Amino acid sequence: MAAIATPALEEYAGGTIAREQVGLWRDGFRRLRRNRLALAALVYLTLLVLLAVVAIFWTPYNPATILPHTLTFEAPSAAHLLGTDDLGRDLLSRMMQGAQISLIVGVGTSLIVLTVGVVVGLVAGYFRGWIDTVISVFINIFYGIPGILVAIILYLVLGRGLLNIMIAISATAWMDMARLVRGQAFSIREREYIEAARASGARSGKILFGHILPNALGPIIVQATFVIPIAILTEAFLSYLGLGIPSPLASWGSIASEGYAALPLEPYMMLWPAIALSVTLLAFNFLGDGLRDAFDPRQRR
Amino acid sequence: MTDPILEVRNLSTHFFTDDGEVKAVRGVSFSVSPGETLGIVGESGCGKSVTAMSVLGLVQRPGKVVGGEIMFKGRDLLKFTKEELRNIRGRDIAMIFQDPLSSMNPVLRVGYQIDEAMYAHDKIPKDDVKPRGIDLLRQVRVSDAERRINDFPHQFSGGMRQRAMIAMGLSNKPDLLIADEPTTALDVTVQAQILELLRDLNEQTGAAIILITHNLGVVAGLCKRVLVMYAGEIVEEGTAEQIFERPQHPYTWSLLRSVPRIDASRGHRLLSIEGLPPDLIDLPQGCKFNPRCPFRVERCFSESPPIEQVAPAQHAACWVTMERAYAEMGAGTITDTSPGAASGVHPGGRTLPVAEVQAAIGGASGD
Amino acid sequence: MLTRGTLIYIAQRLALILFTLIVVSFLVFITVHSLPGSAFESEKVHGKALQLVLHEYGLDRPILVQYWSFFTNAIHGNLGVSFQIRGLPITPVVMRELSVSAELGGTALLITIGLGTTFGVLAAIRQNSWVDYTLTSIAVVGYSVPSFVLAGLGVLIFSYWLPTVTNGVISYPAEWSGTYGTILELSLPAIILGFYTSGQVTRITRAAMLEVLQQDYIRTARAKGLKSRVVTVRHALRNALIPVISILGPLVISIITGSVIIENIFGIPGLGKEFVESILQADYNITVAVFTVYALLIGIANLIVDLLYTVVDPRIRY
Repeated sequence: MAAIATPALEEYAGGTIAREQVGLWRDGFRRLRRNRLALAALVYLTLLVLLAVVAIFWTPYNPATILPHTLTFEAPSAAHLLGTDDLGRDLLSRMMQGAQISLIVGVGTSLIVLTVGVVVGLVAGYFRGWIDTVISVFINIFYGIPGILVAIILYLVLGRGLLNIMIAISATAWMDMARLVRGQAFSIREREYIEAARASGARSGKILFGHILPNALGPIIVQATFVIPIAILTEAFLSYLGLGIPSPLASWGSIASEGYAALPLEPYMMLWPAIALSVTLLAFNFLGDGLRDAFDPRQRR
Repeated sequence: MTDPILEVRNLSTHFFTDDGEVKAVRGVSFSVSPGETLGIVGESGCGKSVTAMSVLGLVQRPGKVVGGEIMFKGRDLLKFTKEELRNIRGRDIAMIFQDPLSSMNPVLRVGYQIDEAMYAHDKIPKDDVKPRGIDLLRQVRVSDAERRINDFPHQFSGGMRQRAMIAMGLSNKPDLLIADEPTTALDVTVQAQILELLRDLNEQTGAAIILITHNLGVVAGLCKRVLVMYAGEIVEEGTAEQIFERPQHPYTWSLLRSVPRIDASRGHRLLSIEGLPPDLIDLPQGCKFNPRCPFRVERCFSESPPIEQVAPAQHAACWVTMERAYAEMGAGTITDTSPGAASGVHPGGRTLPVAEVQAAIGGASGD
Repeated sequence: MLTRGTLIYIAQRLALILFTLIVVSFLVFITVHSLPGSAFESEKVHGKALQLVLHEYGLDRPILVQYWSFFTNAIHGNLGVSFQIRGLPITPVVMRELSVSAELGGTALLITIGLGTTFGVLAAIRQNSWVDYTLTSIAVVGYSVPSFVLAGLGVLIFSYWLPTVTNGVISYPAEWSGTYGTILELSLPAIILGFYTSGQVTRITRAAMLEVLQQDYIRTARAKGLKSRVVTVRHALRNALIPVISILGPLVISIITGSVIIENIFGIPGLGKEFVESILQADYNITVAVFTVYALLIGIANLIVDLLYTVVDPRIRY
């Protein structure tokens, strides 16, 4: 036998060379920084957030006001940078308001999903037993229901409103998160340091939040990031159908819907929300991809 | 002496990674005669697998063969086109790998995988393939071969899988079979069976075998000649008997001293080799083993020793050689094998008289 | 392959589906009937006349009784009658629309899988080349750009800028001729729907292929001297398809979700359009019926996917 264990180098024929052991987080951020798409996405999203924040205090015009001395369907001009809509309202202001709504709905839904999903998942995965069985059966039954159908119905029941739409969309989205967290809790639970913690008398709550949760954080964050574009898309579609954010509030989806009807006359009105939605959704997806690649332990070269 | 079927001359393979150029194999030369059994021994990372993969052109990005010649039946494999290489693989030179479970496709039947090796080449007539497949399985001593041939890999035991892999390798009656750590993933008893099987097949079919392993015991059972590799170079080669009984290179010698033996006396101490193998990106000057060698001399720091003959049919790359170590440095009674301990030579020119060093060692407490 | 174990498994799954259908239809029924407003209220019909109509449809009974009669009827294939169009039995309507949605969804599924696996394999074997980046980016664009955006774009391009190509068949506002539409009319919505979900397939295929190509048995296959195309298809792809099959279930759900959107945009008379219409018109029996049919569809699709596993991966047996 070889006399000494030699950990430094391994055969390279298809394997990996590990020259230094770097912490997972540090390594992850390093890789994330190298992913140019994810960085670009992050920059764009930061700007978008800034725009939305600015919109709280100031927009060129009031997004709901029908301006008396403007024409409808104006093309972009100096006075109206993005033109006006079918009722003569300034599109730039409406788009800024739409940005607010999309971001609030997206992030808000993600937070709800995060909270509910993580708690349920942790409880099911860690305590197992009958709690887990009940939760799992529940999730398995409803897992297959298309979220959009449930969202439509729930939204009608709850009544129109920003918070309600977030609740309606999270109604099915939390189950994916719960499943993920449950799986993570399952496997992390088996690791030795959990046994050590338990043996030293730590209470369940402390173990759950102090040990298991931090270790599962990677995939959880990635999943939460991906919920945002789904939520934004669902809200956009509901507004597009007329089932979403009530007017005169401007959501990108409702602007798009009004724009679609006016397509033969004026392409701009549909163009702006189309671009905004596409780029924003792309950005979130690229960011999520970047996060996932950065923190996937199997991808370490 | 017939012409060797495989002659490797000065082979060098490097890996161009983000961290630097890994010089995994440097200037390796050896040859294999028809029907011969050759063992290549060395620890993990010494380049033995990479050498084998280079022969068949299986080295993947970022690795690349950067120099040398690989003469197979008189033609240089490194100059072959992709298609010509593909022709050789599995047909004239076959290779089997370490873990038979992961080496077989889990969704295809065992028989299918053996047969496809034959269908892919033109050596075995199409109609003979299926019956030969069953026959091969019998030859490698898998019982109930006719039924077993239709099983999936997960239905075989570990030893049976490796036998199936051997069958796959020999299916086209190759001139050379390269076995890369074929027994490492198996139980000890199964290991012995596989080795015996390989020996018998070598006699029956006349196929030459290159056995790659880090386990000296495995080599002793099967191979007539042995190559010892360290840090990408060949440091010693000779017959099995020579290597085991009269090793000339300090590395080989140290390896043998570190293997526990059932027949050793109670007081016999297991000696370890201190230190780690060198960084293949940033190689030290001189002999690559010098940072760990108990018998090094001044020259070892600056010049890399060439492979030279030390006995009939035995070659080693060392300025000192064990012969001299036994004669002048007390290798026979050595207790401390830390670098430079026996020769008293250390980097920076500090040379302590050998006798004083030995006295100091003898007087030191503990290990 | 159809072993006793498999049959028992199928039976268990069917029981589970039935259970799910009951729970889901019950919940939807209750929810929907608690919504304010009714299909019958209008300026003309109120007061006593309203009561009569409600009684005629059994809507003045307690909810649970209503559900029970719905349930017993449903088992016999009678999904009730529509409110909007007096007395029209729902079942044949829903069945017809199911076939339309299936036509759209099925075509889209073929496009998704075909496009997705091809792109994914190509991207994997040419990893990190421009081919890879292009195809991967196309995939991400696919599932990021909302389908109504693509639809709008599609209508814009084909109706206005290239009317000669399609002979003005794809007109605006888009409509659907007859029950099953023409091939031309089917193509745009199916392509948009298929493209939208193909992005996921591309990514999973690519990731699976990359992982499979690292496996030892690929090394063995190369060492045997097999042609590289054979290695890719026969050895790598067959194993890479296993994770792809695992997302077939969610893929069907994605296509269903997407079809709701697409049908409404293009005016395709399928289940999705019916669902939205029934809600807007408060024709709640239809809503419940459509929802239940969707749940049934998904349950069966998932079961088929799980059975598909046994075909592809011999290590899996129930």
